[in-house]
Amino acid sequence: MRRSLSMFVGLVGLATACSFGEPSSSPSTTLTVFAASSLAVAFDQIGRDFEAANPGVQVDFNFGSSTDLAAQIASEGTADVFASANPLAMDAVATDPGVSDRTDFATNSLVIITPPDNPAQVLSLDNLTSPQVQIVIGAEGVPVGDYARQMLRDEGIDHAVLTNVVSNEPDDASVVARVVRGEADAGIVYVSDAHAAGASVMTVAIPPEVNVTATYPIAIAASAQQATVAATFLAWVRGPAGQAVLRAQGFGPPPDGG
Amino acid sequence: MRRRLPIAVLVLALLGGAVVVVPVLALAARVPWGRLLDTLTGEGASAALRVSLEVSAAATVLSVLLGVPLAWVLARAQFRGRSLVRAMVVLPIVLPPVVAGVGLLAALGRRGLIGGWLDRVFGVQLTFSTAGAIVAATFVSMPLVILAAEAGFRGLDPRYEQAAAVLGASPGYTLRRVVLPMAAPQLVAGAVLAWARALGEFGATITFAGNLQGRTQTLSLLVFQQLQTDPEGAIALSLLLVVVSITVLVTLRNRWITGVG
Repeated sequence: MRRSLSMFVGLVGLATACSFGEPSSSPSTTLTVFAASSLAVAFDQIGRDFEAANPGVQVDFNFGSSTDLAAQIASEGTADVFASANPLAMDAVATDPGVSDRTDFATNSLVIITPPDNPAQVLSLDNLTSPQVQIVIGAEGVPVGDYARQMLRDEGIDHAVLTNVVSNEPDDASVVARVVRGEADAGIVYVSDAHAAGASVMTVAIPPEVNVTATYPIAIAASAQQATVAATFLAWVRGPAGQAVLRAQGFGPPPDGG
Repeated sequence: MRRRLPIAVLVLALLGGAVVVVPVLALAARVPWGRLLDTLTGEGASAALRVSLEVSAAATVLSVLLGVPLAWVLARAQFRGRSLVRAMVVLPIVLPPVVAGVGLLAALGRRGLIGGWLDRVFGVQLTFSTAGAIVAATFVSMPLVILAAEAGFRGLDPRYEQAAAVLGASPGYTLRRVVLPMAAPQLVAGAVLAWARALGEFGATITFAGNLQGRTQTLSLLVFQQLQTDPEGAIALSLLLVVVSITVLVTLRNRWITGVG
């Protein structure tokens, strides 16, 4: 019994090695990056590019809400790098367990999305105040929702728009999904979200003088096992290769110009 | 004479109890007792409690109203494909609730198969409404009523029904006065399980009905949202959920299911 079990384990191991491993260049270093889910598409690409440029390094991503990720880093401490969609979550990690090399690497702004046929005829931010427009935004405490509320408050139309809100969603992806499926008439998300959604949504721009800027900080966690590789990764994200990928996904340059 | 239980059974039983109880106790240990009252009497919490109670009660009534007849058909009627139907109707138990929500959207959403027609013809929209939250909760909890009621109906000796028929009782009278009273313990047990499931429902509700205070935001949804901003407050709210369900379950158990338990 024991022998057949170990044989089975051996076979599984062999099969795994055959299908996934490249025996000659098996990665010796694994960099664990915790990143906001709005970065998923861009960072997957950046991770592949970084691996190609640094043989022997493998980048593992854990994407999620910045707030959840910050809590995970504080309790589990398994991250080398943390890339957050808002400074607050980074502040939390900076307090516990601590960070180094903190720097901003991208910005994002807000945009209105509607289904492609735009059933409620939303053509401007002010149109969101017309009665009967069904709007979805991020919930309070979710960065994309807090930014949207801040912008509406600054414009003095928060009351009228929030009356039309039919659902407060847990993240930006859920807002996009509602609009793509046509359940809601309009949603407020990041420019990068609208970029990723492509033709499945119509985009209504929000003028820059009204819009808010979301700043994305990145840092090395105090618990990092791979501090040297982590520093190289940070430089890569801030460098031309990383910035080109981010720009292609709709992100703006960092406030200090990168 | 008292007989000793095998020690292995005791150890496994203790372990089983620990698996269920320890996380709940750990939660209780982290409750912010000092600001418990403030959290629970806040506007958000009382609105969510009201929505939760309304939605779970309505879902239980609907589940019994529709689930018990279906269980009766499954237990008594002979037709081809019955086992397939039986498997289909309990599917929501294994379906990830979020997927259940997507299915409900595809059927009853504003652009769904039936929902599109409801919207055009009657101007009725279930998504983002309390009615939608009730539909979502019913979808996930009705299978529990069906399973329990069908087991109850199958456990009845058909000779009681035959005797009633011989004595001149109509099928409807037999159902009302013989079958339902005899199956009552299982029906109540099924209804209680369905209610508990509806009260804790999260995935299908947020996916189908959305999350809006006072309309579709149940306690479960509020807890999830609070975890983003105020984890301690979220734990206090979960405690409310635990207390409400324990109170109802214990009360019902004493009143209705003493024979079963």
